[in-house]
Amino acid sequence: MKRSSLIRDLQGAIGRRWVLHAPEDLLVYEYDATIDRGLPEAVVLPDDAEGVASAVCIASNHGVPVTARGAGTGLSGGAIPCEGGVVIVTTRMNRILELDPENRIAVVEPGVINLDISRSTAPYGLYYAPDPSSQKACSIGGNVAENAGGPHCLRYGTTTNHVLGLEIVTADGVVVWLGGKTADTPGYDLTGVVVGSEGTLAIVTKVIVRLLHKPEATVTLLAIFDTVTQASRVVSSIIGKGMVPAALEMMDKNTMDAVEPFVHAGYPPDAGAVLLIEVEGLKEDAQEQADAVASICRELEAREIRIGLSQEDRDRLWAGRKGALGALGRLAPSYYILDGVIPRTRLPTVLDGVYEACDRFGFRVANVFHAGDGNLHPNVMFDERVQGATKKVLDLGEEIMRLCVDAGGSITGEHGVGYEKRNYMSWIFSPDDLEVMSRLKAAFGASEIFNPGKVFPTSKGCGEVSSRMRAAIARVGADAFV
Amino acid sequence: MIAQATILDDLSAIVGGEHAYPADESQRFVVDGMTPRAVVEPGSYEEVAGVMRYASEQGLAAIPLGGGTKRHIGNLPSRYDLALSLSHIHQIIEHEPADLTVTCQAGISVAELDRRLRVHGQRVPFDVSHGQQASVGGVLAANTNGPSRPAYGALRDFTIGIRMVTGDGRITRAGGKVVKNVAGFDLCKLYIGSLGTLGVIVEATFKVMPVARLERSVLLSLDTPGGACALSAELHRRGLALSHVQLSGRGDATGYSWLLETRLAGSEGAVERSENEVVGLAPGSHAQPAGSDVSSTDRFSGEHFDDSSLLCRFSTLPSRLAAFIGAVQRLESPDILAEPATGILRVSWHEIDGATVLERARQIAASHSATAVVERCPPELKQHIDVFGDPPPAFQLMRSVKQQFDPKGILSPGRFVGRL
Ligand SMILES: Cc1cc2nc3c(=O)[nH]c(=O)nc-3n(C[C@H](O)[C@H](O)[C@H](O)COP(=O)(O)OP(=O)(O)OC[C@H]3O[C@@H](n4cnc5c(N)ncnc54)[C@H](O)[C@@H]3O)c2cc1C
Repeated sequence: MKRSSLIRDLQGAIGRRWVLHAPEDLLVYEYDATIDRGLPEAVVLPDDAEGVASAVCIASNHGVPVTARGAGTGLSGGAIPCEGGVVIVTTRMNRILELDPENRIAVVEPGVINLDISRSTAPYGLYYAPDPSSQKACSIGGNVAENAGGPHCLRYGTTTNHVLGLEIVTADGVVVWLGGKTADTPGYDLTGVVVGSEGTLAIVTKVIVRLLHKPEATVTLLAIFDTVTQASRVVSSIIGKGMVPAALEMMDKNTMDAVEPFVHAGYPPDAGAVLLIEVEGLKEDAQEQADAVASICRELEAREIRIGLSQEDRDRLWAGRKGALGALGRLAPSYYILDGVIPRTRLPTVLDGVYEACDRFGFRVANVFHAGDGNLHPNVMFDERVQGATKKVLDLGEEIMRLCVDAGGSITGEHGVGYEKRNYMSWIFSPDDLEVMSRLKAAFGASEIFNPGKVFPTSKGCGEVSSRMRAAIARVGADAFV
Repeated sequence: MIAQATILDDLSAIVGGEHAYPADESQRFVVDGMTPRAVVEPGSYEEVAGVMRYASEQGLAAIPLGGGTKRHIGNLPSRYDLALSLSHIHQIIEHEPADLTVTCQAGISVAELDRRLRVHGQRVPFDVSHGQQASVGGVLAANTNGPSRPAYGALRDFTIGIRMVTGDGRITRAGGKVVKNVAGFDLCKLYIGSLGTLGVIVEATFKVMPVARLERSVLLSLDTPGGACALSAELHRRGLALSHVQLSGRGDATGYSWLLETRLAGSEGAVERSENEVVGLAPGSHAQPAGSDVSSTDRFSGEHFDDSSLLCRFSTLPSRLAAFIGAVQRLESPDILAEPATGILRVSWHEIDGATVLERARQIAASHSATAVVERCPPELKQHIDVFGDPPPAFQLMRSVKQQFDPKGILSPGRFVGRL
């Protein structure tokens, strides 16, 4: 069937105003925050689950795929319509439908911005724990699809640990609830598998999230070290002693060099790494943990430890960490954010390997990452205008992913497999493992329609490759960080 | 139908003669009054795979069993040929204390794993009764959690990898060994609570946590469940160092006694302050600090539900728990164990007419938006009911999942929701 009839059908179902098809309108939806792109045939902005369901049915009748899109801040090409078709954007579905402080749950639409949940629950002393660094911009639907994490997921877990139920639209256009508001619901935990399925199983149209009480006390420590190795040892020692801080983040020298001129955090010019450690709980617990962390840092030769108790002081300690990505953006025309996970005891060796590989490829790298759970984010700086640079940086990325896998880790901790890493899946999963995953896809009847070309290995590729990182930063704000 | 002697011969060829035998004399493998035609005890993942390939070829229905402590959960099996015992697969594969992770085989008992981890001052926060017998695989398959869930999470929160043998005998892995991982579908979630209907769990990897340096408990006698729930909500709101809050009620038509057990864990300062606040907040109640010997309170662990004639598990919203308890209490005065923070409660009746009581209990559940699952009842009653109640809204999807994973219907057939 022709594209014009697809558009006509969509207009009939969703309304003319909410169907985009002019080339200049579509361009906005051909990319996310990665270096790939793909052009959709039409973009629709439905207002509710029924609208989503009709768009899915229409696309399916026309034999074209459907890709959901939240805020487009994804870092694995998830929202890029690799094989064209219809993009369903959730920005109009941005209502907080129910807020139940007594049971500490909220029911929200997928287009709600992550931070807006915590903003609206703050008057009740509650918040939504998963805090991806893009939380001012990314949508909860995107978080669910990617099982997004963030600095504080070390202690509180990622999106999957905070989602109780989902309303979804299936491949055959049926609207159905998974899970629910109660702690236990009989049957298979389908909520648990749709979270993290990267838009390949279903389109999420409502989310029941769990809220937490704000802790009584929070202490932030910033510890400065001569070398990355020393800082890594502190991480291993804290974890090895069984302490699980709320957050445990690391920045290396290249990151500090980038940040210092803008944030004036006061990092010594010859320092090799800083750790940002946050502990919280009852004030007695927080204090005791803070003391213990400080003494580990001192024992392992931190050259300076700064402690923040008040909100203002703590914000100041975080400023460098939060300003890192924006600052890096000023150092090179483009950069490529990697995401890999390793067992925490392997931090020192794998980081050495990362620096060595970047050196060999001739790229500068800044490491700024969730050290506490072994989630690395090397940011590789490059200039995409230089012939062959993009290909080279992707090759380097592949080598770094290898390092993670060889250390017993994973190819992604929070950004997802998406388009970029689907061919690395076979490094960590056997053909049988992947076959079993495909059974789930078949069970959802979603084999062809939702977000084809993602997550699973294939040889097909998206169209052009170009860097859009800067555009993404502009959308999430200059203080975005990974 | 293939003869029992042939089955035993064929299985012996896979697992060795002494690990395949007839089950008649062994109560251990009886499920809801049904005796399998053979018991098979594989000693490796490959043997489990071999047994499943064989079962699949012959169309034999297999029920994986660990310690057998959760056998009473689930619908009546529609067929039961093989008891697939995992008790010979019970090693710890890898424990790296400094990474706070452990990988173990499914047949290890919860208590044994706990003992081995405690040597390093660590533990997996399982919260089950019968830990000596209960196997890790069984706990995962039955998704057994307890009152420490708000503090330490549920199985789905601290399980990071599962190795599963499929119905057609493939050894597959989901998740991994690192604490943060979003590569591929999170099939661990699907397997937890799947009650042996999608595959055989043979290995799992968990996040471990340090054993609390200090844990103390306080018992409070309260007049009403409402008071207990309100108190619990306030304790949580204050963020006190709670590791476990459980309300138990016993009584008869003339009156009930309610006991709220709180356990406190953390630093000395936090535990001390929490204990004081718990005692101070208890309104007109009789508070009794039970000290650091938390095991003295084990009588509330639910083991006394083992001989109930009807045991149901309900899950409602915490805000509706007190009203729910009030209603269910008037139904033949059952024993009640509730988790005020999650809204989960287990209710046990003795010497009653199961069918009538269950019907009324389900009505009460429906009017309080609670889910209701029968955890224990006589097989005769099971013949007439679905222990999981009406199929959930996503039942069609669940059915297709079952069909995809077990097209031949040989994995614990009939036992799951909607008799899948
Ligand atoms: C500066 C920056 C910092 C970041 N920091 C973090 C971080 O700390 N932690 C982290 O985890 N991620 C981080 N990210 C990545 C990204 O923000 C997250 O993956 C986020 O969850 C994506 O949300 P989104 O709304 O932008 O989704 P999109 O990019 O629009 O989509 C992402 C995926 O979700 C799917 N999807 C979207 N909505 C739905 C729906 N309703 N139903 C089904 N599928 C849907 C899409 O198809 C796609 O596959 C960062 C990104 C940037 C640019």
